[in-house]
Amino acid sequence: MSVAIESEPTPLPRAAGLALAALAPAAVGGIITAHFAAVPPVAVTPAIVLGVIAATSPALYIALAATGEAPRVPAVARAVAVALAAFGIALTGFVLPATFLSLTSVTDPTPIVIATIALGGAALLGMRRLARELALNSLSAWLVFGVWSIATLGIAGRLWWDMARELVP
Amino acid sequence: MIADQPTALETIDLLLRDRTKMLATLRGDRDVMPILRTMVATIALCMAIVGAALGTYRGGEQIAYAAIKLPLVLLGTAALSAPALTAVGVALGRRARFAADLALVLSALAFGALLMAACTPLILLGRSIDLDYHRMILATVAMFGVAGIAALRMIAVGLGGENAVGWRAAFASMCLVFIMVGSQLGWALRPYLVRPRAQHVVFVREVEGSLYDALVEGFDSARGIYREDAR
Repeated sequence: MSVAIESEPTPLPRAAGLALAALAPAAVGGIITAHFAAVPPVAVTPAIVLGVIAATSPALYIALAATGEAPRVPAVARAVAVALAAFGIALTGFVLPATFLSLTSVTDPTPIVIATIALGGAALLGMRRLARELALNSLSAWLVFGVWSIATLGIAGRLWWDMARELVP
Repeated sequence: MIADQPTALETIDLLLRDRTKMLATLRGDRDVMPILRTMVATIALCMAIVGAALGTYRGGEQIAYAAIKLPLVLLGTAALSAPALTAVGVALGRRARFAADLALVLSALAFGALLMAACTPLILLGRSIDLDYHRMILATVAMFGVAGIAALRMIAVGLGGENAVGWRAAFASMCLVFIMVGSQLGWALRPYLVRPRAQHVVFVREVEGSLYDALVEGFDSARGIYREDAR
């Protein structure tokens, strides 16, 4: 069995991707807003995504630098921007099916579960792109990245859960 | 250039006989619009035949209803799933090729639809020997399962042949979206197979919630939480 070598990643349309990183979470929040007739999710969802990334990405640089593995600040900033764009593009692909699945449901938890799957899936894909962009090549760097990923997803997940909990009676 | 374009029948023949060559055609930079048109027509026709065959179990207007609904399920699922394949692929570093991805998904589904069409005599055999309703359902599910696996395998081989970064994650994401959307669309447009003794048939049932609502309610019920009335 031959082992195929994957090609290098194609550069992302970064500006469009970053715009989608704000718009796609708003669209997913809009799905929740449409179901519950409550305005907050449409604004809170992009705020959670962008706010958590803004708050935690400096910590990633500091921790990677402490292990001696961090690229220069501009390279880390570029990697985070590419990963955020990847998140936005991936989430855009999930918006249409998530909208369909939500519109055809009648119970309250279903749209939230669907939106959570869409956001979580896109976040994992964004994390994967970030790891590739950072070109991590030591166990300590991977360890730092893993802990940072869990912390970032945990914070965002908790904020998302708090918002969702207020909507479901 | 126009002379190089195979006819619709030649394209379908290529899909059935030599999928490696078909996938190579889709990976190239040629215009995929003729392939898209052929595949949409193939899916619509084959699934209409399969739907009509399933409808014969009850007979009457159910033949027409199922013949209309089954193509809608497959084409609607493809339309909602293909963008996810492209978006996830681009996010992970694949080249953005929406038309080619849509052609790949539709070609794979057309292959599955052709396999289902080939199973039509078995459906009609079940009807002719008065196979009971539950066995008929199981047989139909088995046929759709085989055709579905064949279609997904074709997509996996097509994506794997690109050797593009992240193709596995793109395929897994598309499978997840495909299964969730396909099962929900199929659920929303049911019934397809109706008992012969059914007095009346409906085009679609009243909205009773989604498949996932049913799963959520089932999960709640298992925990002793019962819902008196859905929203």
